[in-house]
Amino acid sequence: MFQIRCIITAWVALSGLLKAAGALAATLVVAVQTSDGRPLAGAVLTVHALSGSEHPAAPVNAVMDQVERAFVPDLLVIPAGSTVEFPNSDSVSHQIYSFSAAKKFQLPLYRGKRYPPVRFDQVGFVTLGCNIHDPMLAYVVVTDAPYFGRTDSRGSWSVEVPRGTYRVTVWHPRMRESAELGREMTAGDTDRTAVTVRLTKPLQPAPLESGHSWDAY
Amino acid sequence: MRRLACKPFALALLAFTVPAACAADWMQLPQWEADLDTRLVSSDGQKSFVNGGLGTLRYDHTQSGLRLGRARLALSEALGEVWSLRLDASAWGDNDRNPLDLTEAYLQFRPYPFAGYRFRLKAGVFHAPLSLENRAAGWESPYTLSYSAINTWLGEELRTIGVEGQLDWLGTRSGRGFDLALTGGLFGWNDPAGTVIATRGFNLSDRQTTLFGRVGSSNSSPLKPIELFHEIDNRPGYYAGVEGRYFDRIVVRVLHYDNRADPAAFDSAIGKFAWQTHFNSVGVRAEGAGGWTAIVQWLDGQTYTDPQGEDIKWPFRARFALVSRQLGNHRLSIRYDSFTVDTESEDGDGAQHGHAWTAAYVFEPDMHWPDMKWKITLEWLRVTSDAYYRADELGTPRLATETQVQLAVRFALGPLAR
Repeated sequence: MFQIRCIITAWVALSGLLKAAGALAATLVVAVQTSDGRPLAGAVLTVHALSGSEHPAAPVNAVMDQVERAFVPDLLVIPAGSTVEFPNSDSVSHQIYSFSAAKKFQLPLYRGKRYPPVRFDQVGFVTLGCNIHDPMLAYVVVTDAPYFGRTDSRGSWSVEVPRGTYRVTVWHPRMRESAELGREMTAGDTDRTAVTVRLTKPLQPAPLESGHSWDAY
Repeated sequence: MRRLACKPFALALLAFTVPAACAADWMQLPQWEADLDTRLVSSDGQKSFVNGGLGTLRYDHTQSGLRLGRARLALSEALGEVWSLRLDASAWGDNDRNPLDLTEAYLQFRPYPFAGYRFRLKAGVFHAPLSLENRAAGWESPYTLSYSAINTWLGEELRTIGVEGQLDWLGTRSGRGFDLALTGGLFGWNDPAGTVIATRGFNLSDRQTTLFGRVGSSNSSPLKPIELFHEIDNRPGYYAGVEGRYFDRIVVRVLHYDNRADPAAFDSAIGKFAWQTHFNSVGVRAEGAGGWTAIVQWLDGQTYTDPQGEDIKWPFRARFALVSRQLGNHRLSIRYDSFTVDTESEDGDGAQHGHAWTAAYVFEPDMHWPDMKWKITLEWLRVTSDAYYRADELGTPRLATETQVQLAVRFALGPLAR
């Protein structure tokens, strides 16, 4: 009987704690639209706290493969200090390079898994190419934000954050905006705060679906 | 005898570099591709230029039936980190000098980009960067079997046997919307270029002249075969061009070419005068959503020879427009060509003008095995042309309309197959 009472007491206490914790959290919902009001899938969102302290997200070990003369996936968002492995699953060799300020590196001609993962310490946007196959193009976004993600097919993304004020920044490889595009969001009394960010300029053209895998001249 | 001195050099270079490559620890087996393209042909064409006639099609009325379109073997070997060697050999199934011969063979230096710029260097035998249509491996067109009149001529008479440098500005890798490239080439062994256009005129074909081969076969008649890759006057030619790319959507190429041949120079060993040939070419290719592609190209130039002070010039110009649409594994293309060879000869020697319509359907089935591709193409081609030499050399009417239908089945195998 005493044991059952203890369990009930602990359950009530735990529920109270969870409720209290819930009361401190809120959901930020961000919708991203193109300049003509259509949902933009795949936009990168980073969220920094403007009030209180924040801890950057923990580094991860990510993989960007090369399949059918294309990077898969063609965009990664990783916390600073993360590593990315670049295996080559094609039967032809690739030669990866970046001359972006945030990370300059080269992976000499290779097939299979030849090189150890590459570490990305500096925050910024890294554009990757293959020196053999010019149409190959990919991006690595390195961030120190505690929260980040990409919009879904409906152009929407959400994240649970402690109550406070945040700055949400939007980036997409096809954006023409040269200045940072962001919004301030305050997660206050309500559990859910939503904002819609609309691009100010039309997107650059998307890579052709047909690709140019047979381009040789 | 100023025969192609670079040929033994290139072979010696190949013999030297491949074992050197084998010895290095970064050695990987050469990447390769083998293609076989067979055709079922129906043609009412006049005797083909391949056999010494003045027909404008690759296959004439005597060649309907099953034919070899092209058998091709390509090799690509990395020589260290930034050098590579490429060899492309083909058999065209006609009576050329060699059953299998090189269309391209070159060394390429391709260092890593630096601060958004990249330099590239090619040395050997290769096509100048002129065509926006012949963009697939082997300098083939992914749209049609027969190339446009412009690109047929480039494949027939021109080849860079020399060096080419290209400086790229990689804007799309620097957050910009476009890339730019400056190209310059220096070459020799192409002094007879212009002979075909002045004696046979333009035609529409997919037969590229090989390094040791010729236009026309051993039994060519009445027109004799023409060898194109000779140095006659010891004066190098050059070309210079600019290429702009807007993302992967629009490509613009402008190029000026001049073989700088001395039109009075004569090589008694081969019995040939040099032909001074120069031209400008402008091409635009635009690709859009929904699989649409449009290509236009203009070419305007002149060839000139001066045997014993005769001073004869043949200005020529050609243009084409191609529209193509890819829907899944299917592609439909249509092209209109227009071409003219003028002459300053009072009799009208060598004058030709004409136009052509080409329609093609391409089907590329999905393959479940890697490094293996099938391609099936059905092409209809009609050329209407008026040629002075038909009356003068053959005693036939100057005006002719020729039609050729081809069904091609192409099988490609190897890591480079795509």
